[in-house]
Amino acid sequence: MGTDAYADAAGLVARSAAAYVSSVPTDPADDGFFGPASVTWQLSGDLSSIVAGLRALLVQALHPLAMAGVDQHSDWRRDPVGRLAATSSYLATVSYGDRAAAGRAAARVRRIHEHVNGTDPVTGRAYAASDPALLLWVHATLVESTMVACELFGTPLAATDGDRYVAEMAVAAELVGIPAALVPLDLAGLRRYLSSVRPELRCTPAAADAAAFLLDPPGLDPDIAEIWQDIRDGAAATMPEWALQMYGYRAPGALTPARRAEIRQALGVLDVVFLGEPGVLEARQRIALRMRAAQHA
Amino acid sequence: MRKALAAAAAAGALAAVGLIVARRGRLRLRRGLAALQLAARGGARYTRSAPRLFASAGRGREQLRNDLALQTAEDVANTLGAMKGVLMKIGQMASYVDDGLSPAARRALSRLQDSVPPMSAELAAGVVESELGLPPERAFARWDPQPIAAASIGQVHRAITHDGRAVAVKVQYPGIAETMAADLDNVALLRRLLRITAPSQDVDALITELRDRVLEELDYRREAANQRLLAAYYDGHPTIHIPQIIGELSSRRVVTSELSDGARFAELAGWPQEERDLAAETIYRFVFRSLYEAHAFNGDPHPGNYLFHGGGRVTFLDFGLVKHFTLAELQPLMQMARSLCVDNQPEAFRRAMEDAGFLVPHAPLSTEMIVDHLGVFYATIRTPGRLTITPDYASAVVRRFFDLRSPVAGYVSIPRSYVILQRINLGLFALLGELSATADWRAIAEEIWPFVQAPPSTPMGEAEAPWRARRLAAARG
Repeated sequence: MGTDAYADAAGLVARSAAAYVSSVPTDPADDGFFGPASVTWQLSGDLSSIVAGLRALLVQALHPLAMAGVDQHSDWRRDPVGRLAATSSYLATVSYGDRAAAGRAAARVRRIHEHVNGTDPVTGRAYAASDPALLLWVHATLVESTMVACELFGTPLAATDGDRYVAEMAVAAELVGIPAALVPLDLAGLRRYLSSVRPELRCTPAAADAAAFLLDPPGLDPDIAEIWQDIRDGAAATMPEWALQMYGYRAPGALTPARRAEIRQALGVLDVVFLGEPGVLEARQRIALRMRAAQHA
Repeated sequence: MRKALAAAAAAGALAAVGLIVARRGRLRLRRGLAALQLAARGGARYTRSAPRLFASAGRGREQLRNDLALQTAEDVANTLGAMKGVLMKIGQMASYVDDGLSPAARRALSRLQDSVPPMSAELAAGVVESELGLPPERAFARWDPQPIAAASIGQVHRAITHDGRAVAVKVQYPGIAETMAADLDNVALLRRLLRITAPSQDVDALITELRDRVLEELDYRREAANQRLLAAYYDGHPTIHIPQIIGELSSRRVVTSELSDGARFAELAGWPQEERDLAAETIYRFVFRSLYEAHAFNGDPHPGNYLFHGGGRVTFLDFGLVKHFTLAELQPLMQMARSLCVDNQPEAFRRAMEDAGFLVPHAPLSTEMIVDHLGVFYATIRTPGRLTITPDYASAVVRRFFDLRSPVAGYVSIPRSYVILQRINLGLFALLGELSATADWRAIAEEIWPFVQAPPSTPMGEAEAPWRARRLAAARG
């Protein structure tokens, strides 16, 4: 873990912003795998996406083999901010980049995954990061988390857009190497898949460490910790009860409208800070103009 | 992250208060965010701030991004909801002390302003229709669907009324007033954003003031009422012009006033010094007559709120942020000015400051020290004679006022009802400094001070006489 967790947290905005800005192309060769009319673009720019990311990481960590791979092979404990920025960069490139850029980014991730093999100390099972089963878990939890967070804190999706989003994101699954036949193509399929994995989930010590870091980054300045509390409460409110129980957290109870508004306000404050980073406004405008053009086409 | 915002918002707050009190020493920002902290430090940071206040404050949404125009109320909510509209307001207020902000804080706030596109023609037309009951093409004889300027949480369109008057129509973003009012209810978050600079006992008063002012600005009827009041007051004035409100075409979210044209502040800077002096005299007369006679104070000294016509004639725009004073609130101010400048009684000045709540009673300070520190605002009017307010002079006023090393600083606070007054005072100094304006300010003050009522001291004062006579007759009649 970073010796200076506050510095890590401060760097989070700048490094995530830089990753985002460099992933939004200025002169794309094509519309990429999703395009400006996609639900994916709509959701990627939603205020709720930070809660979505936090929820996805918390749920993903409950798969012992996925968690073991991250714990034993990535340097998240030493450089958590770098790890998160790399993930943001990958997701933004796959979403907004042209096909060549997204393809290159995915190929790089697949190459890295080839070397991520080992044995989970808790279950004693062997794992490989390129195992489609693990990749699918990571994929499906991200897709689900994005929708759940948006429903609670974002701009609500149109009724049929949930299915559309799941179907769109199948491309992202294939890019990291999941055979198309395994990938859920609608919400019902996604939910069936997620329930089917439940028996394998548990909170390993590595998962508990990761969650503890994410929920309460050590060494945070009190004022930063305060706003993080809102974001964390937001993520907790989106978590399934069984997941909270596995972590040993008390279920937070129903989210009151007032609390929901406060969390949205905290998200807005973070968004403004993000907007202040160099290039973020221009990158957002590039995206908005393309979405505008697609709308009128 | 919190710190970045806190510092940015705090800078806005201190602009609103006109008082920088960074007494908390425990700020520990690092890396990129460290720069933001400087905004909260005040003091030395403000050394060079005043002269250029207005050069940068005019920025904002000058280039309207029509290609990104907001098309639905949902677009508006995404852009200005979730506290962002409130932060933008705070940012606009912060622009008055622009140069006191670190580059990072200034960037965050100006980026936020830049990030708000205008409404599409259809969306703006929808607001007009729901507010005035008719689509703009029917409510007006001619309607220009392209906005000509951004306004406070809205935009300005040109139109011609059915009786042939050219008008400016300010149209508010739909739904935003409700959203911002709700966001302003999150006092806990605002308190966290603001407490970095303000001493704890002042934070709640500050938030209340900020909240009240923003809520007022959201109701255009209030602005229309202010503008109507001042337009009536200055009706017939030789150099002060306030556009008429067209009441039947104004409502809560739409305000229509007579269209004015003239030189912007930036152009005035290139005019001969004589013209600049005259414009400065008009602004000066406007500020002090409004306060002492109409008991109202336009709290928005933005350079974009003036149009210049030569010969000292000035049009005053935008009355969204007007503070009204009761006579009881004004009495201590008059007492302060009178005891220090006219009667030359420092002890009485000190008592008046204490009575008004500006100064803690029985502070262990000599009256000489207090006069030295707080008399700074009266420096232009304590003695007769012509005086040039240079940029350096203006910055010295700000520097002296914000000098936290002064032993007096710890005993000073600005009561809530004077918060806006403080802000415009600093704004006025900055403005006059920018113009390097020369006048016998004391002589002009004596014309206006109710407790002196001296005869006209300048040609402009002479030219005011018929208007003054009518005002006095009206007051008696």
